[in-house]
Amino acid sequence: MLLRTELTLLLRARMAMFALILVALLSIAAVAAGMAEVARQRDVIARIAPQQERDLAAIASWVDQGKDPGNAAYYSFHATWDAPEPLAFASLGLRDVAPYILRVRALGLEAQLYDGEAFNPELALPGRFDFAFVLVYLAPLFVIALFHDLVSGEREAGRLRMLDALPGRARRLWVRRVALRGGLLYAALALPLLAGALLSGVPVGQCLAVLGLTGAYLLFWIGLTLLVGRLRWSSVANAATLAGLWLVLTLILPTVAHVAINQAIPVGQGVELSMAQREAVNRAWDIPREETMTRFYAGHPEWRNSPPLPPAFHWKWYFAFHQVGDESVAPRAAAYRNGIEARDRAAQALGWVLPSVGVQAALARLADTDMQAQLAYQDRIRAYHQTLRQFYYRYLFTDTPFGKEDFARTPRFPSS
Amino acid sequence: MSAISLIARDELRLMRRNRVAVVAFALLVLLTLAAAFISWSHQRAIAETRARFQAQAAKEFEAQPDRHPHRMVHYGNFIFRPLGPLAAFDPGVDAYTGNSMFLEGHRQNTANFGDVRQSSLLIRFGQLTPAFVLQVIAPLLLIFLGYGAVARERERGTLRQMLVQGVSARQLVAGKLLALAAVAALIGLPAMIAFLLIAGQPDALAGPMAVIALGYAAYLALWAVIVILVSAMMRRGRDALLALLALWAVLVILVPRVAPDIAANAHALPTRLETDIAIQEDLRRLGDSHNPDDPFFTAFKQKMLRQYGVSRVEDLPVNYKGLLAVEGEKLTSRLFDNYADRSFAVQAAQSGLMNGFGMISPTVALRRLSMAAAGTDLDGHHRFLEQAEAYRFAMVQQLNQLQADAVTYADDVAQDAGADTRKRISADHWQAVPEFRFQPAPASDLLRASLPGLLLLLVWLAIAALALIPIARHVQKARR
Repeated sequence: MLLRTELTLLLRARMAMFALILVALLSIAAVAAGMAEVARQRDVIARIAPQQERDLAAIASWVDQGKDPGNAAYYSFHATWDAPEPLAFASLGLRDVAPYILRVRALGLEAQLYDGEAFNPELALPGRFDFAFVLVYLAPLFVIALFHDLVSGEREAGRLRMLDALPGRARRLWVRRVALRGGLLYAALALPLLAGALLSGVPVGQCLAVLGLTGAYLLFWIGLTLLVGRLRWSSVANAATLAGLWLVLTLILPTVAHVAINQAIPVGQGVELSMAQREAVNRAWDIPREETMTRFYAGHPEWRNSPPLPPAFHWKWYFAFHQVGDESVAPRAAAYRNGIEARDRAAQALGWVLPSVGVQAALARLADTDMQAQLAYQDRIRAYHQTLRQFYYRYLFTDTPFGKEDFARTPRFPSS
Repeated sequence: MSAISLIARDELRLMRRNRVAVVAFALLVLLTLAAAFISWSHQRAIAETRARFQAQAAKEFEAQPDRHPHRMVHYGNFIFRPLGPLAAFDPGVDAYTGNSMFLEGHRQNTANFGDVRQSSLLIRFGQLTPAFVLQVIAPLLLIFLGYGAVARERERGTLRQMLVQGVSARQLVAGKLLALAAVAALIGLPAMIAFLLIAGQPDALAGPMAVIALGYAAYLALWAVIVILVSAMMRRGRDALLALLALWAVLVILVPRVAPDIAANAHALPTRLETDIAIQEDLRRLGDSHNPDDPFFTAFKQKMLRQYGVSRVEDLPVNYKGLLAVEGEKLTSRLFDNYADRSFAVQAAQSGLMNGFGMISPTVALRRLSMAAAGTDLDGHHRFLEQAEAYRFAMVQQLNQLQADAVTYADDVAQDAGADTRKRISADHWQAVPEFRFQPAPASDLLRASLPGLLLLLVWLAIAALALIPIARHVQKARR
């Protein structure tokens, strides 16, 4: 009954209604845009298979003439992909700048793993319009708009004394008002998200986690707003202070922290790794071939009984030095990756202090679109590349002819 | 005139007395200086690392031993995109594009190891640069300092008093605007001084630097006008503040985010995988160099034999395999260029559409102007990619020509034990391959690219300034 009165009051406040409708529209737009982008990425991945088939069939038809496994291994590129998780629409994370499809062949992986996708950097620069953006950046502004004058507004209208004088009801009145405004704001934000999640088939646990996260972030800002409200300043001073806090928490501190983290944790340039790998691989042409084979067999004793190299070129030597080249830069590759992980961990840790960062990180983690997801995709490429090598080595090191039917036996990238 | 300056002086005195305003202003100046310093040291560090790697790559290339030239085609070369001096002010897309590239024969690799792929997610919150501070944060300070300029007078009833005393609304609005514009100038000044200091080389890039200075001045002036407009329109200070905050959130934060999504959906960019496969298919359609009876390569062989007046490839005065390598690279390279042109065209269409949003948001227009003048926009990156491809092609063809001229056909096809040594040519040849030198865009190009953004901003400013006239009339009504 009382709640209905409050609701009527709220409905009459034009600005509050306008704000709530706007939040709902923004949330709907962000969810729709995110879902469209995820659908587009799924389409791109679905388009791969037939094109790959055609490409490999063309290679198979001429490799089949000579049946040299080396030609098959050298000329065939194999597709890998990182399909978006159902929740990816809520937080596109790094998926707009890191590749989600990559072709690899059985040569040195370190020269292939860090390749990028064609994308327009000017579009990536401002960031994408997704739910995470609406929640992290815009939702606090609406909280400020709806809550900054909750008490001060009544004071300025001269009604505060009267409200406080209501016998024993004053506290409950404020609780009711906060709950109503907060609840409606939450609904305007979360319902479109929930609809998107249901349409995308997001597991219930994840759904609850995102809804909880959204609620917690809203509560933080509502709490902060009420806290500032307790200082008994004017509505204008409240709004200005809160907007300043928003600026510091969502724009200034994260950018300052980015600089600090990148300064504190150098990753050793990835290009150093590439250059070292190139030296290691190309050196093989200038040293005795047996030296390469000895190193290769030491790491891969299962092929030790392969017949000795003929005087002419043999592909197994070529693939062996690519393998040895990768192995010689393995410590560097690990260090490079550790550096990136350390940076990521530092940002995650910062999330415990900075809610904006924490929510952004948690959403991207739940949606599996963050740096960890990128690195996990690289791990899957590594594992697949390993099986590819093993597959071709069986032919190369036993001089088994590689025909059309063997192309059909080539391991495919496992869909996760 | 004296009434205007009196009002302005009065407004400024009020701001000076407002402790919060002074602290906020000081913080912004500090932030600008910190951003300038960080940006500058970051840019220096990047320039230093890339120069060091470029030198190392060149040294390693020249230090390669005697080899078959085709081995050097595959050894390839690493090149790095240097950063222009203005990148310290606005690094633009630098963190989002790879800045190093591996160049080799038959393949066109991507530019790799951009900052965005080796940093934490914090990079997506924006980068602390002078450009960022002026584009995003400075308008907010102007809002805080100016939202009450007229609304406050109206709320307290002092507006009516002044009008009755004979001050015209025009004078009042002009005075308030003058005060806020002075503040805007003070906000922009440290950034511009820092800009001059860190960017250096004013003679070579004087034009683009002037456009940047003019653009940011117009942008801040525009916000001063917008703040005064809204303040004069609203009945209460609080309404003015909320309206301005909403406007800022839409123009500075929301529209620049929505625009890329719309642009990306309007013009789909083919993926690298699809392009690679398409190029391979085109190549197969052209001819199969592995097939001795292929019509295309048979015709090429006949042409070469006729040209040199011999009947067998063994009798050619040059190495036929080298000629074949030159021809093959020419074919693939032409395809690379075709597909790259198509990709560039799509990206240019995307960016063009996004820049159109400058008509809705002055921040988009300013960003366009700023990156274009600094040479750190998409065009700057494409410039690098085009020069990289041209250099790759020249380097590979120089090495292929060496194969044709310095390795005999008989040695090249020999398979005996000593053949490997006979195929190798002297390492001196590698030193004859020129180093990669990135040619930065001339100042006139940067200037031309940044003018549309500047024009758009000036139109914005003119429209906003014209809107002051009816608003002054509206304020005048308070007299009654």
